[in-house]
Amino acid sequence: MTRFLSAFFANRTARPFGVLVLIVVVLGIADDGHDRVLTMSTAYNVLQQFATIGPVALALGLSMMVGEFDLSVGGILSLAGCVAVITGSSSPVAGLLLAAAVGAFCGLAQGTIMTWLNLSSIGVTLGGLLTFGGLSYFLTGNTTIGYDRLDVALGVNAPLLGIFSIRSLTAIVLFLVATLVVSWTRFGRDLLAVGSDRRAATIVGIRVSRILIAVFVISGLLTAIGGGLLSYGLAAASPTALADTLVPGAAAAILGGVSLSGGKGRPIGIAGGVLVLSMLRSGLTAIGVPPFAHWIVTAAVLFAVAILDSEELSRRVYSFCRAVGRRSDVHPPNGSSILFRQRADH
Amino acid sequence: MQALPENQRTKSAADAGLSAPLFLGSPIFSARDLSKSFGPVNALKHLSVDFYPGEIRAICGENGAGKSTLVKILAGIDRPDAGTICFDGKVCPLSSSIEAQRLGIAMVAQELSICPDLSVFDNIWLGSVDVPFLPRRKELRRRAAEALRLLGAEHIALNTTVGQLTIGERQLVEIARMLTRNARVFILDEPTATLSDSEIDRIFVALARIKREGHSVIYITHRLAEVFKICDSVTVLRNGEMVGTVGIAAIDRKKLIEMMLGRPFVEMYPEHGYSAGDPLLQIEGLSVPGAVNDFSAVVPRGDIVCIAGQVGSGAEDVVRTVAGLVYNATGSVRVNGKPMRLGSAEEAFEHNINFVSGDRAEEGIFRSLSVTDNLVATRLRALSRFGFLNPNSLRAEALRLAARAGVDQRRLRARADDLSGGNQQKLAFGRCLGGAQAGLLVLIQPTRGIDIGARAEIYQLMHGLCSEGYGLLVASTDLEEVVGLGDVVITMYRSRQVGNYRGKAINMQDIMADIIHPLK
Amino acid sequence: MNSVGGRASEKPASVASRLGSMHLDKASLIQGIAVVAVVIFAVSTPGFLSTTSIRSLLTTVSFVGCVAVGMTFITLSGNIMSFSIGASMSATTIVFMASIALGLIPALILAFLFCAALNGIQGWLIGFFRANPLIISMAAYSMIIGSAVYITGGRGVYPLTNKADILTANLGPIPGPLAAFLFVAIAGQLILSFTRLGRNIYLVGTSPRAAKAAGIEPWRTVLWAYVAAGLCTAASAVLVAARYRSGDMEHGIGYEYHAISAVLVGGTSIRGGEGSVLRTLVGTVFIALMQGLLILRGFGIELQYLLIGLIVLAAIMLQWKVRT
Repeated sequence: MTRFLSAFFANRTARPFGVLVLIVVVLGIADDGHDRVLTMSTAYNVLQQFATIGPVALALGLSMMVGEFDLSVGGILSLAGCVAVITGSSSPVAGLLLAAAVGAFCGLAQGTIMTWLNLSSIGVTLGGLLTFGGLSYFLTGNTTIGYDRLDVALGVNAPLLGIFSIRSLTAIVLFLVATLVVSWTRFGRDLLAVGSDRRAATIVGIRVSRILIAVFVISGLLTAIGGGLLSYGLAAASPTALADTLVPGAAAAILGGVSLSGGKGRPIGIAGGVLVLSMLRSGLTAIGVPPFAHWIVTAAVLFAVAILDSEELSRRVYSFCRAVGRRSDVHPPNGSSILFRQRADH
Repeated sequence: MQALPENQRTKSAADAGLSAPLFLGSPIFSARDLSKSFGPVNALKHLSVDFYPGEIRAICGENGAGKSTLVKILAGIDRPDAGTICFDGKVCPLSSSIEAQRLGIAMVAQELSICPDLSVFDNIWLGSVDVPFLPRRKELRRRAAEALRLLGAEHIALNTTVGQLTIGERQLVEIARMLTRNARVFILDEPTATLSDSEIDRIFVALARIKREGHSVIYITHRLAEVFKICDSVTVLRNGEMVGTVGIAAIDRKKLIEMMLGRPFVEMYPEHGYSAGDPLLQIEGLSVPGAVNDFSAVVPRGDIVCIAGQVGSGAEDVVRTVAGLVYNATGSVRVNGKPMRLGSAEEAFEHNINFVSGDRAEEGIFRSLSVTDNLVATRLRALSRFGFLNPNSLRAEALRLAARAGVDQRRLRARADDLSGGNQQKLAFGRCLGGAQAGLLVLIQPTRGIDIGARAEIYQLMHGLCSEGYGLLVASTDLEEVVGLGDVVITMYRSRQVGNYRGKAINMQDIMADIIHPLK
Repeated sequence: MNSVGGRASEKPASVASRLGSMHLDKASLIQGIAVVAVVIFAVSTPGFLSTTSIRSLLTTVSFVGCVAVGMTFITLSGNIMSFSIGASMSATTIVFMASIALGLIPALILAFLFCAALNGIQGWLIGFFRANPLIISMAAYSMIIGSAVYITGGRGVYPLTNKADILTANLGPIPGPLAAFLFVAIAGQLILSFTRLGRNIYLVGTSPRAAKAAGIEPWRTVLWAYVAAGLCTAASAVLVAARYRSGDMEHGIGYEYHAISAVLVGGTSIRGGEGSVLRTLVGTVFIALMQGLLILRGFGIELQYLLIGLIVLAAIMLQWKVRT
C-alpha cells in the first residue's frame, strides 16, 4: 500500500488528484453534516471556475511543457472577449469563431517572431501581452461594452444536468482533446521531446520551429475560446476585467505537474490542478473563509512548487545536512555532472 | 577483463597503413575529399573513405583526430565545407538528419540524445520517419520490445521514464532506437563507454546480427580490445586526415597504436630545469559519488601535474572538485597545508585557487562582456574600497593582466565573443593571474579547439607561471599535451586512478594503454 | 561526382544571421533615430511646450521611473522581471501612511526597510535555490495581495496628516518627485558603474556558471540586486503615497508592466548582463513622451496602450540573436 502511495505521489500528473481527494475529505469534514459545502451548487461553482481558469491554465501549461512561457494569455483573453462581444450580436457562434481565429493568429505571430529571430518567449510574449491588451483597449474605446444578447449570456452559464454549463463542458472537451493529442499523436510526443531536451530533439530530426509555432497557435486558440465564452457569460467585454488570470493559471498548471524546465506535465494533470484551485476557492467561500484566503493559498502553492522544483534544492539540503554533521544517514545525490541512479549490480 | 586474442603477425607489406581493398563489391557508403573547419581549427582535411556492406568497420584515432566530426557529417547532422558523399553509388548531399534517416543511415552519437522526461517507448521512436501522426501503438511496441530484447535489455519496461534509468541503460535505449530504424548503415560513436561488460557483449551480438543481414556498421571506439574482438577492419584518422584502412587480421595492437600516434614529437613543450617546491595542493581519498573513487595526488609549487583520462574517467571531476564546483565530494584537500572546505567556489578562490574551465564559451569567459570586464572579474574584491571601484584602476589592472597573459592590449574594449579561440583562452588565463602570490591553477582541456600557434603561446605561459611558483593541475584528453607538458602524469580510467608517472617515465604508450582499457 | 560545397542553410536563419551580426550598438542606432523622430514630433505638437503639460508628464515619469530603475537591477541580474513589484509598491504605500503618525523620518525608514525586505526575501529564494524568478514573484504577488486584503480589510489608509507633503514640494523649479527620481536613477547608475556589487550583477547576469567559476557566488549578488530593487520601489511608494495622501493597494496596479516596458524599450537585454539604468531612464522618458504626445494630439488612452505595446515588441525584436 505504501508503495502504491509513494509511486502515486511521485507521479507529477497524479499529484493534484491526490490533493483533490484530500480537499474533498477535508471539506466533507468541515461540512459538519449541515450540508453547506458538498452541494450541487458548489459543484456547479467549481465547474464554472474550471471553465474560467481552465483554458488559460491549459494554454500556459502547453507552452511550459514545450519549454517556453506564454505571458500573453491575459492579453489574448481580453482581446478575444472583446472581439466575441463586439462581433457576436447576430451570430454568437460566428463571434466566437472569429475570436478563436484572432487568438490563433496572435499565437502564430508570436511563434513566428520567436523562431525566426531566435528570441526567448518571455520577451516576445511580454510584448504580445501589452500589444493585445492594448488592442482590446482600442477596440472597446476604454469602456465596458455590453453584450446585447442576454439569452446567450444566460445560456452559456445555464446549469446543465445540475452542475455543468456550456462553458464548463467546452473546457472539459478542450482538455479531453488536448489529452488525446498529447498522449496519442506524434505531435504530442514531439512536443514533450522538444520541452524535455531541445538539443536531443533537434538531433533526432524533430522540426523544433514548427512545433513551437504550433504550440503558440494552440495556446492562443485555447485562450481565445475561453475568453470569448467568458465574456459572453459576463455579457460584457472589458479590457481590464480579465487581468488576473496569469497567476491562477500558472499556479494551476504548476500544481498539475507542469515544470518550467519543460517536458513534464500532462493536460489531465493540469485539469487536476485547475480543479484543486477551483475547489479550494469555492470550498473556502462556502465554509465562510474570506476571499483573501484564495490569494494566500495560491501563494503557498506557488512557493512550495517553485522551491521543490528548484535546481539547487537537493544540493542545499545536502550541504546543510552535512554541515549539521549527520553525514552517515544522508545519501549524497549522485553525480557532479550527470545525474543517474547507480545500481548495485553494476 | 577479456584477454586479447593472440593475432598472428603477418609480414604485411603495408607500411604506414595503406592496404589492399578487403572486400569485393562496391561500397555502400563513401565520402570523397571531405573537409570541415570550426573557426581556425581544421577538423577534417580532404578525407576519403569507403564503407562496405556486411562489414563492421572500426574508426580509431586520438582525441581531436576528427572521428566524431566525420560521422556527424555521414549522419547528416553536420554539413561539410567541401566534399561529396555517396550512398549506394549515388551522390547525396545530406542536408538533414531526417534525410539521412530516409536513406537508411542510423546513428548513436557520443552525447546521449535522450529526452529524460519521456518513456523508453517514446525515446525509441523519437524522430523516426516511420511514425505517422496517429501511431499504431501495438506494432510499434512490439518492435521496440524486440529491439530491447536483442540487446538483452528486456528488464527495461517500455513505460519507464528514461530519467529514472542509469546512464548505461539510457545508452541501451538509444542503441535500441538505432535498431528500430530500417537502416543499412549503422554508426556508433563510443557506445560502450558507460556500459558494463555483459551489456557490451549483448551489443556485440546485435552488431554481429546486423552484419549477417548484410548491413554496414561503423564503430568509433578508443577500446582496442573491442576493435580486435568484433571488427573486421579499422580506419585510422590522425589530425583530421586519413591514415589508412587495414584489415584486422593484418595488424596488431601495437601497430594500431603506432598508426594512431605516429608523428614526430613537435617541440612545443619547452624544457624547464627548475626543481619543484613544497606541496601546494594535497589531495587524499577524494571521492565523488558516481564519478571519482579514492583519488590522491600532490601538486608541488612549480610543477605541472596532468591527469589523463577519457571523458567520464573522472579527471574533470577531480579538477572541478578542487575548484569548489562539486558539492558532494568527500575526502581531504589541503592547500599550502591548510585544509579546504569542499563544495564552495568562493572558498577555493580564498585559497588562491583559480579555475580555467574546459567549457570556454559558457563557463570560461563572459562572452558578451568586454575584455576588460573579463580580465578584472576576479580582481574586484581586491581592487574595491568599501565596495567602490575606480574604473581607472580597473583599466590599469586589465592592462597589466593583458600583458601577462599575452592578450592584445589594444582590444581591451572588444567583446570577448569577437576574439579568436586562442585569445579567448588567454583571456581565461589572464583573469587568474592577478593575485599577489603565486597560487594554484586548475585547468580542464586548456587548448581545446585552439590552433597550433596559440597553443605554443599558452604552453609558454604555463611554463612561465611555473617558474614564478604557481602549481598547475591539468585534466586533459589530449595525450600529446599531457605527455609534453606534464612533470607528473596521473592516469584515470572509469573513476579510478590507474598509474602515476614522473619525469622520464612519462611515455605515450603506457599512458594511452592506461586510459583506454587498462590490462591490469 | 560533382563537388558539393557550402552549407545548407534555412532561409530565415541566413537573413537573421546577416542582420543579427549587428550588435546592440546598431540597435542603439535605431533607438537613437526613434528618439530624434519623437523629439521632432514633440516640438511640432501644439501645446507640448507649455509648462503644465511638461510638469504633469515629468511627475508621472518619476513614479514609474523609480520602479523601472529597480526593475533594471532585477533584469540585469538575469532574472527577467518581477511580477510582484507593483504589489510591493502598493503595500509599501500602506505601511508608509500607516506609520506616518510616528513622524516622517521613522515612516520613511520603515517603508524602505519593508520594501527592501519584501523583495530581498524573494531575491534570496531565487538566488539561493535558483528557483524560477517568475514563479517566485507570482507567489509573492499573491502573498502580498492576500495579506494586504486581510490586514486592511480591502480599504486604503487615509491618514489626516500633512507630514508627507514635503515630498510633493518643489526643489526650486524642479518638481520634487522628479528630483527624487533623478536622484534614484543617478544612485542606481553609480552603483552599477562604480561598485563591486554593480560589476557582480553584470557578471552573474551574463552567466551564473562563469561567475561561479570565477569564484563569485551568484546568490549574494542576486539577493542584493533584489534589495536594490526594493529600495527603488520604496522611493516610488513614498512619493505616490505623499502625492495622493493615501496608502492603497490600487496605487501600484500595472506598475511592473510599465517598469519592464521602460527597461526593455531603453535597450536593456531581457537575458541579463547587458544594459544600464541610464538606458532605462531613456526608455522611461521615451514612453512618457509618447504618451504625452498622444494625449495632446487627441488620441485616447486606448491607442496609447496599443502603441506602447508595439514599441515594446519592436524593442524586443531588436535583440535578436544569430541562430547557432
